[in-house]
This record gives sequence, structure tokens and C-alpha cells, in this order.
Amino acid sequence: MSEDTPADESVDGEHAPVAAADALPVESTEDDGGHGLPPTWTIKRWLVTTNHKDVGILYTVTSLFFLVAAGVLALLFRANLWTSGAGILGGAGYNQAVTAHGLLMVFWFLSPFAFGLANYFVPLQLGADDLAFPRLNALSYWLYLFSGVLFLVSFFQGSTLAGGWTMYMPLNVPAYMPWQGATIAVLALVMFVASVTVSSVNFLVTMHRMRAAGMTLRRMPIFSWTILLTVWMMLFAFAALLAAMVIFSADRIVGTTYLQYEIAGAPANEGAALLWTHLFWFFGHPEVYIVFFPALGVMAETFQTFSGRRLVGRKWFIVAMVLVALQSFLVWMHHMFLTAINLEVKTLFMATTIGISLPFDLMVFSLIYTTIKGKVRFTTPFLFSFGALLLFIIGGITGVFLGAVVLDYEFRGTYWVVAHFHYVMVGGVTALIGGLYYWFPKMTGKMYDETLGKWHFGTYFVGFNLVYFPMFIAWETPRRVFEFPPEHTVWHQVATVGAFVLGASFLIMFYNFYRSLDRGEDASAKPWEYASSAEWTVPSPPPLENFPGVPDYTGGSLSFRSQEADGGTAHEASHASVWPLAVALAGFVALLGLSGLQQGSYAPGVEGAVYAGLTGVGVLALLWTLVEMAREPFHGPGGGEGSAWPFADVGNTKLGMWIFLASDVVLFGAFIGSYVFIRVSNGWRDWHHLIPEAHVAFPGLVNTYLLLTSSFTVVLALVAAERNSRRGLVASLVATFVLGVAFLVNKAIEWEHLFHLHTDAFPTGWELSTNVASSTFYLTTGLHAAHVIVGLVITLYLIARAWNGAYLDDDRPVEFFGLYWHFVDIVWLFLFPLFYIL
Amino acid sequence: MSRLKLYTAIYVVLFVLATAQVGIEGYFGEEAYWVGLSAIMVVSAVKAVVVAGYYQHLRWEPRSVTAVVLTGLVAALALTFAAAYSIL
Repeated sequence: MSEDTPADESVDGEHAPVAAADALPVESTEDDGGHGLPPTWTIKRWLVTTNHKDVGILYTVTSLFFLVAAGVLALLFRANLWTSGAGILGGAGYNQAVTAHGLLMVFWFLSPFAFGLANYFVPLQLGADDLAFPRLNALSYWLYLFSGVLFLVSFFQGSTLAGGWTMYMPLNVPAYMPWQGATIAVLALVMFVASVTVSSVNFLVTMHRMRAAGMTLRRMPIFSWTILLTVWMMLFAFAALLAAMVIFSADRIVGTTYLQYEIAGAPANEGAALLWTHLFWFFGHPEVYIVFFPALGVMAETFQTFSGRRLVGRKWFIVAMVLVALQSFLVWMHHMFLTAINLEVKTLFMATTIGISLPFDLMVFSLIYTTIKGKVRFTTPFLFSFGALLLFIIGGITGVFLGAVVLDYEFRGTYWVVAHFHYVMVGGVTALIGGLYYWFPKMTGKMYDETLGKWHFGTYFVGFNLVYFPMFIAWETPRRVFEFPPEHTVWHQVATVGAFVLGASFLIMFYNFYRSLDRGEDASAKPWEYASSAEWTVPSPPPLENFPGVPDYTGGSLSFRSQEADGGTAHEASHASVWPLAVALAGFVALLGLSGLQQGSYAPGVEGAVYAGLTGVGVLALLWTLVEMAREPFHGPGGGEGSAWPFADVGNTKLGMWIFLASDVVLFGAFIGSYVFIRVSNGWRDWHHLIPEAHVAFPGLVNTYLLLTSSFTVVLALVAAERNSRRGLVASLVATFVLGVAFLVNKAIEWEHLFHLHTDAFPTGWELSTNVASSTFYLTTGLHAAHVIVGLVITLYLIARAWNGAYLDDDRPVEFFGLYWHFVDIVWLFLFPLFYIL
Repeated sequence: MSRLKLYTAIYVVLFVLATAQVGIEGYFGEEAYWVGLSAIMVVSAVKAVVVAGYYQHLRWEPRSVTAVVLTGLVAALALTFAAAYSIL
């Protein structure tokens, strides 16, 4: 073998090769079911599966559906833009189409499409049986699907959100966008973030704890590396978005005025618009890399495979990606150069923006040099990946203009941004489509038609440049506006033609896949000669349990130990569970019902009663399904037996809990940050004028005592469990429950008093909508109270089980609950001084 | 000291510190408002570290777990301070 073939290199500490054998003798059990799963040709299989490969296929198919939905919206408004004016859609229709296109593409297509591939291939590349928490993986998918359905429902409830995908304020506050559909769209995003958070925790535990022996982080395949960094970014970035969406939905549902600007005499919050941009872009800029990194991983994998050359500078490529992931949280204000932020901070963020482009330069040169050093095979996956690189270079260079403060003054809010943004984001999609072709034989067991694939690439690439490049020329067109100067008409018409060519190119892809599934050639285990990661060592499609034994890289290349010799830790229990689907469906019903609650009340009459009923049924169903899911016997795969640095000594569930809490730190951090920002913008010490004299520290101090004491009783519960004292365990948990309830009762008394006080300054009480101080107070402490309520529900469940003798031989569930409860306590330690003392 | 005694002592200290925070505000008053604010937030931070370190057992977990939580905290602080600074 030549030194250019990655599959044959000895381990050099930088890349883990696999055995050269074409296929290992593994019997596929896919069609026969297995592990309690019905066969793949039944609908039931897809409703109850928790297997990562099935979930990967579900993600992929669903995301392609949303691509078509969002693509049709794009074709509608591109047709509208044939000439300047409101056109066929009308003003409201145009705004909805543009907004929904952006939201659906960014949230419901781009990342889920990448995570279809990640679900399928990351466990295979790591040498794992499945993800760490298979049922949570299924739950992530169903939450994603139902959140998308909820968004689609919003079109039929007056109007969906119509203020742009960035949802700037005050444009989207209820005064300007009063429709129930807009509220549903916001709640759909909340549900989507729940899906993302569950998925992030699951992937992080899996990738850190379930790698095969010898599969060190340095040796991990590059696609898996990009997913690892993506989920770390997702964990923290989406928590900030969740904070933004909770504030947004509270303004719409319960009537807070957090994001209210001065509207018709209503209380003003001068900092509202700027606060939104901070929260949104603190999420939004990492989101660019969250979307792009998996595409980068596909590029690197396919460049290696189809050039027959290991990625040049692989180690530095990884270092560059780590730097970008860190820097991605330090550039968000370059989206705000036209706002009132000060010049010093603008200059600082211009510098960080230039800084983040440097690691990307290294990655681009690495990819280019890999093709120069190798011998390129121009297959469809490579063509898409190479096309993506070219498009990304254009997108990157045009983005530099926007990162410079002075130039941004000119370009911001124009079609230059639209063009740049699409060259980057849809450039990423281009690589992901290459990834779909690359792994299609592995996922389906069938080869796609190469000629049709190349036709797809040709029409796609021409269509892409026809639709987006003219936008650079007609850049003076204002963004999201359907009127443009007459001299730009021809360029908009070219773009519209390009959009239809781009859309039509997907018909070739769908036909190709349909024909290949129907009568395509059977795919071998390794259809690409120089493919080098572990998924290519097993049959196409892989069997349910992935590998014929326990994967092991410690010998220098992939080998398999026998299951029995390894202690028989195979993931042998049932893989079927209906509860993830049921939980997500219950959540969908609850949120649909909640959308009927507008500004604190349901509509009068039957309509309001229906929505109130849906809310009640949904919440009860959610509680019931969660309890049933917790009670269901289900054994996930183990972890920590192979490479598990740096979490070898932390169990899967405990690590999952800590990672979740880290995202909750950002959620509460964003809430506290918002409060600090609003208070600074109002004048920190002038804030007291917005608060009644009756809002004193005493109720907060009492609640501090109650919560601290409840933390102590949780500690006592764990000590009792360790000492095998059932009575002590139950008594401590009951005490925790009583203290938690007392906390809520004290809070309710306090709120009731504040709502109904009558003073000169607050003649109608201090309510949620009274002013920005009351909004921040009730919402932030209310979010904390919601955490207390969740904790109390868990406490009740623990009490019931402890009463029956649980946790004496395994006290870990009590410990994991304690981690959560103490965190809730810690949050209060900061809320108490901020909202009661200072 | 047994673990239970240690946990009990920590509970008493946390209780006292919570009470002290209310007193700190009164002690520094309006003239030294920012000193008082800083002191109160430092006490909150100390209490949080103690709860995380002992009640959540972070002290006995691998440092990597602490790093995960601190990463979230740094992100939240970056947002808070940079956003507030941007309008000063």
C-alpha cells in the first residue's frame, strides 16, 4: 500500500485507521427486527425505535421535508420579486414567507439534516453500540418533529411570525404582531430548543464516554470532531436563545412588558431592542458555526476519501476548529454595529471578528492542499464538497466587509448581507448534500446513480450562483423589502430564475434516491476505496448492534474483542419505547393550548375553553408520560469502558446531569444578564423608582432560609440512603417536599400582596405588566419557581419509590436529583440579593 | 469531622451568611452603595462555591466536571458584562 492511502497507515497518534478487510462477517438483523423492535417495513418500527441509525434516518427524512417546505416559500417570494412591489403574496404574505423561510431553513432543516448524519455515523465512527441515552435520542427527534408541526400550524392561526428570522424588537411585540400564529411560532422555537438541549447532552456524554478503547480524541475521525465541537457550542448558545424565547413568549402569553418599547402610552423599556439583539446574536453567531461545522466535517472526510490522502495538517485543522468554537462566543456584537453600542466595544468586536477568520484560513488551505497532494476522484460527493469549499471562500471573503465597522455602516440591512449569508449557510448545505451522497450506500445498502448525481451537482451549482451572486450586484436592495430600484430588476429576475433552477435540481436528487432504492446496485461494505473510518468496516446497512464484537483500537488498527470475553456488556435489552413519542405529543398539545393564552387570559367563549382544555390535557398527559417513561425498564449501553477522557471517572447519567446544569447556568445567566442590562440602561440606582416600597427583603430572606434548609434535607436523604435507612430517606425527602411547597406558598403570598397594593406610585398594584422592573422580577423569579415545581414533581416520584424500598442499594438517583436541587438553590443565592436587596 | 457534621456546619454557615447579606446593605447604606453591592455579590459567590463544592460534591469529582460548569459560567458572565459595557 502506498503512503497516500489513509486506510493503511500505521497509527501515528493522529488518526485511527481501520482494518483493510472489505466487510466483516456480521449478519444483518435489520429486516427481522430484533431487540424488541418490529421489522423496518412496519410503521410501528419507526414510532417506537430508539436505535441511533433509525433515528438518524428519521432526522434526515424529516429535515428534507422541511427543506422542501422552506424552499417552496423561497420560490414564492422569489416569484414575487420578479418585479418590485407587493405582488402576488401581498405585504403580509411576503413578510410571513420570508420570515418562515428563514426560521424553517435555519432551525428545522440545516442542523437537523446534519444531525441525521451525526446520529447515524458518530456512534459508528466512535465504536459505540448506540448513543448513551437511546430513549432521549428518540425524544429529541419527536420534540423536533412536533415543534416543526407546531410551526406549520402557526400559518393557520391568523398569521405566522412575520418580523424576520432574527425576530427583532419591538417589531415582534404583541402590539405590532398580535396574531395567535405568531405566538405558536415562538412556542415552536421553545420546543425546538428543548429538543436541541436533550440532543446536546446525549451527544456530549456519548462522545466523551463511549469511544472504543484506543479511540482517543486525537484519533477521532474528523466528522466526529466537528460534531463534538458543534454540540458543545449548541449546549451553551441555545440556552441563551431559550432565555430570549422565554422572555419573548412571556410578553405574548402572560403579559409581561420585558421587550416592550414605548407604545401608545404603555410602559417603556428603552433598552428592549438592544437587549434582544444581544441575546439573539449571542446565540446567533455561534449558530453560524453550529450549522457550518458538520459541513466542514463532511468536506474533510470526503476530501480525504476521494483524494486518497490524509487531511494535510490534520492536527492543526482540529486546533483551528477548537479556536473557532471558542471565539464564536466573542464576536456577536459585529451584528450590532448599527445600533447604539459604544465605539470602543465596536472596535473590540471588529478585532475579534478578524481574529476568527484566521483559523478558517488555515482550514481552507488544509483542504486545498489535501487535493493537491492526493489524486482526486470526481465523484458526486466530492463535487458537492469541492463546490461547497468554493462557495464558502466567496462567502467568507464577502463577510470580511461586514466585519469592518465603517463598511458595515454601508452594507448592513442590504442584499449584500443576504448574499454573503447564503454563500456561507447554503454553502454548508452543499457539503451536507455531498455527505448524503457519500453515506447513502451505507445507510441504504444501495448505490446511487453517479450520472444523475453529477447532473444534480451541475444544476445545483449553476442554480446556486444564479440566485445568490446577482444579489452582490444588486446589493443596494434593502433586505426583507419587496420594493427595489428599477435598475435592479434584471438582477432580481436572474436570481428568481436561479432559484427555480436550484429548486429543480433537488427533483433530480429525489428521483435518483428513489430509483436507487428501488433498483440500484447493491452497495458493498466499503464502496469508496480510501474510506477510512469504522462505519466502512461493517455491512451496508450496518446491523442493529453495529459491530461483531467490542471495537478496539489499542492494537493500532480496528479489531474486535468477543462480547463474552469483555464481560458481556452488550446493549441487549429492548430498543423499543413508545414513551418518547408520547412525551413529545403531550408537549405539543400543551403548547398548542398555551398559545390560546394571550396577555394573561384565554379568549372568551368556546374557543378559549378549547385552548384552556388543551393546555390542561397536555400538561397532565406530559406528567403521565414522563412518569411512565421513568418507570419503563430500559437499559441503555454502558460507557467508560474504552477511551473516556476526561470523564472516565464520572458515570453517564451524572455527567449528563452536570452538562445539562451547565446549559442551565447559561439560561439563568442570560436572564440575570438581561436584568443587569435593562437596569443599567434605565440607570442602575434609578431603578428603585420602579419598585414599590412594599417590595421588601423579608419574603426573599424567608425563602432563602426555606431553600437552604431543603438543600440540607436533600443531603440528609443521600446520607440516609447510604446508611440503608428507608425511614430516614423517606422522611428527608418528605421534608424537602414540604420546604419546597412552603417556598412556593410564601412566594404566592408575596406576589398576591404586590399585585393588589394601592399606593400613589402604583395605584393599580404592581403587576406583571406594570413596568420593566416588575416584568424582570416576576419572570426571573417565576422561571426559578418553575424549576422548583419540576423539582417537587421529581421529589414526589422519589418519595413514592423510596417508600417501596428503592434507592437503598443504589442511591445514585437521589444524588442526581440532589445535583439539580442544589443548583436551584444556588440560583436563588444570586436572585435574592439582586431582586430583593440591591 | 464526619461528613454529616461537615454538611451541618456548612448549613449553619450558609444560614448566617444569608442573614448577613441583608445586614451588609444596611451597614454600607447609600453612600457606599457600590462597596455594599460588591460585598453582597462576593458573599453570594462564596455561598454558591460552598454549595457546589460540598453539597454537589464537586470537590470530590474530577476537575473536568468543574470545567464544564465554569465554561457555562464564563459564557454567562461574558454576555452579562459585555452587554452592560456596550451601553456605558
